[in-house]
Amino acid sequence: MNTPTNMHAGSLEDIRRLAQGELSIRARIGYVSLLMVAAAMTAVVLSLWLTEPSLPARTQAAFCVMSLIGCAWVSFALWALGARRPLFARDAVVAGTMAVVFTSVFVAGAIGAVIVSGAAAAFGVLATGVGMLAIAVGRLIIARRRFAALAARREELQRSVGRS
Amino acid sequence: MSHDFRVVNTESKSPDTDADELLAIRCQLGERAAFDALIARWHEPLWRYLRRLANNDDVAGDLSQDTWVRVLRGIGSLREPAKLRPWLFGIARRVAMDRLRFEYVRRGAEDIELEELPADDSTQDLEADLAAIDSALAGLPITEREMLTLFYLRELSLAEIAALLVVPLGTVKSRLHRARRELRHTLETRGAIT
Repeated sequence: MNTPTNMHAGSLEDIRRLAQGELSIRARIGYVSLLMVAAAMTAVVLSLWLTEPSLPARTQAAFCVMSLIGCAWVSFALWALGARRPLFARDAVVAGTMAVVFTSVFVAGAIGAVIVSGAAAAFGVLATGVGMLAIAVGRLIIARRRFAALAARREELQRSVGRS
Repeated sequence: MSHDFRVVNTESKSPDTDADELLAIRCQLGERAAFDALIARWHEPLWRYLRRLANNDDVAGDLSQDTWVRVLRGIGSLREPAKLRPWLFGIARRVAMDRLRFEYVRRGAEDIELEELPADDSTQDLEADLAAIDSALAGLPITEREMLTLFYLRELSLAEIAALLVVPLGTVKSRLHRARRELRHTLETRGAIT
């Protein structure tokens, strides 16, 4: 019978190389970072656009385009994390922690802006930041629970396999 | 040479099921070493299954790569890690069937089958009996070939095959019975068994 040798596509080495690319932690962290930065940028631009009363039409058009670009990047990052580079349990905990830290800094900045300027846009950014922080905390809690459940099952199976 | 085609695996839980589940869970956790182990353990069985469906080494290699991309992207959301084995072969089967559909559309043929893809002449069988079975299997229609491969070579249970093919258990039994009969007939015709 034939065996999958290195002479053919799909050899063991090919699949290992393929896995290295597919499992790249750098790519996953990159998409998570992209998601957070794009979401934050979109939140700021949208807040400015929606709360400033007398913006020239040209500026409004620019904010509209920038918001659309931000939403497109957010959508792309979400799609990539869902379909191309899904987060494993450990990655999800790391990503959740990153998101909580990032959004906390963002909220702190928004609080500073509210205190200094008191502008309506700053309140908009703060409200959006709090919402993002809540989502990040929720995702982190879910990720930690899933990781703990899987780790417990792993321990149980390791004992079971070790006995047999 | 005589061959015994009795049912050798049962509906009971395979002793490897815990090990499979452990491997799947370690992958879901994100342990990179577990992915190496997953590939080391399942690359060859999947390749052989795909090779059996495609009758061609190069096509099997392409299908294998596509299968592993889907496995690596999908294992994190595998709901029942204990069913790793049928899940893996289910993905491989879907990849092969997608290829079949693509070839059907591309060639516009009415009766295309995977076994019509270019045959590979690099087969170097190690033993005469394996070669005879291999050759006889390759000559069977894809449904029978797949059934025998899943049951005897990949050692999936009848229930696992039924779940994988999305057909009732009775259908699996009747297909397996027909496949064994056809393989025996082919081997007898070729004088491989008496």
